[in-house]
Amino acid sequence: MEQRIETRSQGENGKGCLKEILAQKSFLLLDGGMGTVLQQKGLTPGGVPELLNLTNPELIRSVHRDYIDAGSRVIYTNTFGANSLKLARAGADTASVVSAAVAIAREAAGDTGTLTALDVGPLGELLEPMGSLPFERACELFREMIAAGTAAGADLIAIETMTDLQEARAALLAAKECSSLPVFVTMSFDETGRTFTGCTAASMARTLEGLGADAVGLNCSLGPDKLAPLLREVSENTRLPVIAKPNAGLPDPVDGRYDMGPEDFVQAMLACVEAGASIAGGCCGTTPDYIRRLKAALAGRRAAPRRYAGGSFLCTPVCPLTIDGVRVVGERVNPTGKKRFQQALLENDLDYILDVAVEQEEAGAHILDVNVGFPGVDEADMLPRVVKKLQSAVSVPLQLDSSNPDALEAGLRVYCGKASVNSVNGEPEVLERVLPIVKKYGAAVVGLTLDKQGIPQTAEGRVAIARRILDAALAHGIPGEDVWIDCLTLTVSAQQDQAQETLKAVRAVREELGLQTLLGVSNISFGLPNRPLITRSFLTQALGAGLTLPIINPNQREMLDAVSAFRVLSGEDSQCRDYIERFAGVTVRTEVVSSGAPAPSAAGEGGKSLESAILKGLKADAGRLAREALASGEADELSLVETHLIPALDRVGDGYEKGTVFLPQLLSAAQAAQAVFEVIRSSIAAKGGAPVKKGTLIVATVQGDIHDIGKNIVKTVLENYGYEVLDLGRDVPPEAVAEAAEHRKVRLVGLSALMTTTLPAMEETVRQLKALPEPPVVFVGGAVVTPDYAGRIGADYYARDARQSVEIAKEVLG
Amino acid sequence: MLRPDPDESLRYLGVPEPPEDLRRRAGAAGEALAGLVQPRYTYRICGLERREEGFLLAGTGVLLTGSTAARMLADCRQAALLACTLGARFDLKLLALQARDMAEAALWDACGSALAEAGCEAAEAELAARFPELFLTDRFSPGYGDLPLTLQPDICAALDAGRRLGVHVSESLLMNPVKTVTAVIGLSDRPQAARIRGCAYCQMRETCQLRKGGIRCGTEN
Repeated sequence: MEQRIETRSQGENGKGCLKEILAQKSFLLLDGGMGTVLQQKGLTPGGVPELLNLTNPELIRSVHRDYIDAGSRVIYTNTFGANSLKLARAGADTASVVSAAVAIAREAAGDTGTLTALDVGPLGELLEPMGSLPFERACELFREMIAAGTAAGADLIAIETMTDLQEARAALLAAKECSSLPVFVTMSFDETGRTFTGCTAASMARTLEGLGADAVGLNCSLGPDKLAPLLREVSENTRLPVIAKPNAGLPDPVDGRYDMGPEDFVQAMLACVEAGASIAGGCCGTTPDYIRRLKAALAGRRAAPRRYAGGSFLCTPVCPLTIDGVRVVGERVNPTGKKRFQQALLENDLDYILDVAVEQEEAGAHILDVNVGFPGVDEADMLPRVVKKLQSAVSVPLQLDSSNPDALEAGLRVYCGKASVNSVNGEPEVLERVLPIVKKYGAAVVGLTLDKQGIPQTAEGRVAIARRILDAALAHGIPGEDVWIDCLTLTVSAQQDQAQETLKAVRAVREELGLQTLLGVSNISFGLPNRPLITRSFLTQALGAGLTLPIINPNQREMLDAVSAFRVLSGEDSQCRDYIERFAGVTVRTEVVSSGAPAPSAAGEGGKSLESAILKGLKADAGRLAREALASGEADELSLVETHLIPALDRVGDGYEKGTVFLPQLLSAAQAAQAVFEVIRSSIAAKGGAPVKKGTLIVATVQGDIHDIGKNIVKTVLENYGYEVLDLGRDVPPEAVAEAAEHRKVRLVGLSALMTTTLPAMEETVRQLKALPEPPVVFVGGAVVTPDYAGRIGADYYARDARQSVEIAKEVLG
Repeated sequence: MLRPDPDESLRYLGVPEPPEDLRRRAGAAGEALAGLVQPRYTYRICGLERREEGFLLAGTGVLLTGSTAARMLADCRQAALLACTLGARFDLKLLALQARDMAEAALWDACGSALAEAGCEAAEAELAARFPELFLTDRFSPGYGDLPLTLQPDICAALDAGRRLGVHVSESLLMNPVKTVTAVIGLSDRPQAARIRGCAYCQMRETCQLRKGGIRCGTEN
C-alpha cells in the first residue's frame, strides 16, 4: 500500500518547477473546461468522455493544445471519472485509460514547459456514512488511478470537484501514500457557502493542509462572481497557495449554455484574485478564449497579500472550531470508573457510547475526548469504529485519547476533519512514535508534562518538559498552534502543594510558550466531600491562570456555568451575550436541604406516574421516576419492567393497532421506555449483575439497500421491549447475515428491503439463513415486501410494521 | 423559502387525520427542516424523438419506454428532465436525529419527502412560467407506472446531476441522497388532460405502504 512510484524524474521536476512558480508570488494559470468543450465538439452528455482517450486521442490532444496556446501552464488530463467504479460500467480499465490520457497531455505539452496534472474527480458513489462505500475502498480506487498517472509521467495530481471532505481526504491520502507528486485539491461549493454535504471552506482548508496538500481551493458549481467571499475564507485558513477554477456561471436549461461570457468571467475572477487566489483557471462552460483573456487580465498583476489568520483549530466538516478562548472538552466518553460504559465496550454496544457523546454535545461541550481503552478491548479495532459511529451523529470535533499509537493512527485515518490526539509526553520514544502520526494526519497533539522520572514537582520542571515537547513537534513539522500542553492536575487531598504548582505551570506555558493549555480538572477533588465545589473552584482559578481547554463533565451544569461566568469576566464573551442567553429567565434558588421528605413513587407523584410518563413519551420524567422508584426500594429492576414498563408499552401498541396512536407517538413512548431501561441497566451494572435481556435477534437491511430508517424504527421499538437487537446495518451481504446468525446462535432474524431491485438480495439472504444447520426464524418487511412475497421466498413471517415485529418477537423469543 | 405541508408530511407517515399536537410537531419539524435545507433542482428541455421502443430525449441517452411514457407524451414534441434533491445534509441530519430521537427522525423523514415534493412543484411552476405558451403534462418518475427504474443512471448522467446536485445512483438503482426525485414532464402545444397520479397506474400499488394503511399519496383520478 505504501509503495511509492517514482519512475520519472519529471515528477520531482514538476514539484521543483511548481515550487519555483509558487514562490515567485506570480499567478499560475490552469486550463478551462474539458467536458463542456467536448460537448461543444459533439460528445453526447451522459457519454463517458474518458473513453475518448482511447477512441479519439487527437480530439483530446487538440483541446489541450488550444489551452496551451491560450496560456495555460498546467493542463488537466481527461481523467475526471477514470476510476474503476465508473469505468467498469463502460467496460474499460483505469490503468489503460489513465496512461493514455497522461500520454496525450504530455504530447500536447511537448517542450512548452506546460505541466500535466492528473485530474481526479469524485468516485460517483457516496462514502460511509452517507453512502455505503467504505473509506479504505475509496482510498484503494484513488490509489489505482494515481499510481497509473504517476507511472505515466504526470507532473502533479489535481483532485477536484469534491463535495464530501471524507472523499477528498481519501484521495489525498492515496496520493501521499503512493506518489511523491505535488497535489492540488479543490472542492465544489454551492450558494449556501458550503459543499452539498455541508462542509465549510475553513474545515476544508485546514483539514487538507494538515494532510499535506500543496494547494487548495474551489472549483466548479458556481461562477467566479459568487466565489470571492468563500476564497477569502479559504485563504484565511491556509498558508498554501489558493486555487480558483469556477464555472462560467450557470447553464441554461434549454440550450445548455453557461450564462457568463468571457469578459464577465474575467472581471469576476479579479475579485477572486483579490480574495487570495493565485492559481486560476476555469471549469464547466469555460473555453480557451476565457483562459486567454484571463491571462491578459492577470499580466503584470501580483498576487494579493495573504491573510492566514493562524491560531489553534479543530473541525469536523460542518463544525469549524477556532480556539481563541476557552473551549470545553467533554470527558465522559471514557470507561474509567464507569461500569456501564465498560459493559458497553465489552458488549460492543456503540449505541450507548454514542448516547454519552450526544448528551455532552447537547450540554454544550465544544470538543469530545474519546477514550475506549479497557482490558479485553482491542483499541486499534475499537477506536476507529467508535470514531465513525460518533461522527455519524455528533458534529463537534473529537480528541482521540489513547496511549496506543496503532489505535491513534487507525482512529485518525477515519476521522473526517482535524482532530486532536491525547497524548504524548516528554519521553523521546513516545514522541518519536506518535508525532509522525500526528503530522501525517494533520492533527493537534496534547503533551503531558511528565517523562520517565514522573511528574516534576515544580512548575519549572513541567514547563521544561513542555518546551521539549514543543521542540520535538516543531522538528516534525507540527506548528506550535497544534501543540497543546497538559500541566497535569494532581489530587489536592493527597498532594496539597501541587495544586498551586499546576496553576503556575499553566500560566508559564501560556505566557512564555504561547501554547494552548489543557487540564483534566475533575482529578483535583478525588477523596473529598462535596467534590463539585472543589472542582469548580479549581476550574475558575485555572481559567484565570490561562487554561484554555478544560476537560470536564459538561453535564454538570455548574461547571459550564463557571466557564460562562469566566468568559464574561475575561472579556471573551463580548457584551455578555452568551451569559445572558444562558441565564435569561433562570431564577437562581438557594437550595435548602431538608430531611425526612417523602420518597417519590413510581406509582405517582402529583398524578405523574411512570406509566403516564411512558404513554406521553416524556423521556426525562420516565428516567427520573424509574431512578426514584429503585432508590426508594419501592420496586426492583425486574418488577419495574414487568409491572410498569411492558404494560405501558402494550397500551401504546394497542392504540397504534387501533389507529388512535401514530408512529411518532409510538416512538416517543419507546424512547421514554428506553430511558427506563437505561436506568435499569446502569443499576444492574453498578451491582455487577448480569444484564436482563429477553432474548437476542438480528436486524439488517439487505445488500444493495442503503435506506434503513424503517429497520431502525423496528430496532428502537424492539429494544424497548427488552430484546437485545444486533443491528448489522444496511447494505449487508447475505453471507454476513448468515454468519452473524450462526456465530451468535440467534433464533430470530429480521430483514428489510425498500426497493424492488434489492428483493433478490432478500431472497438470497433468507435462502442462506435457512441453509444453516440451525436455521433461525426469519421475518421480513419494508416498502416493497408483501405477505405473499414473504411466503414465496421462504420467510416465516411478514411484518407490516414495527408493532407487528414485537408480536413476532414475543411469539418466537418469549 | 419552501416549507413542507404538515398534513402532507403526516400522510406519508400514515396519519390521515392528525391530532392537533402531532400536527404541531410536524409543523415545527417542517419549519426546522426548511431552515436547514432547501430543495435544489436542475432541469433540461429536450426534443422528443419517436423510436420504435419509445421516446428518445434528443441529445441524451435517455430512452423512455413503456405505456406510461407513451400515454403521457403522446401530444408532446419536447419534454423536461428534472432532478430535485434535499441534498446530503438532510441525510446527515437524519442519521444524527436517529441517534437522538427516533420519533423526531420519523417526522423529519416524512417532512423531507413533502419538502422534496414541494421542490418539484416549484421547478414545475418555474417551467410553466418560462414557457407560458406550452402546456405541461403531469410529472412522472421512474418506478411510477411502467417507466423503468433502470432509467435513473441515464437521467442523472444527462442532467450531470452528480456535479450539479451531488446526486448519485447506486448499482441497485437507489438514489442518493435519500430525498431525491427524478421526473419527466412533457411539454405540449395543447392542454393536457391525462393524469398519472393515482394508484391504478402505479407499479407500487401492490406493496405501497400508504395503500396498506388505506391512504393515497396523491390525487386519484
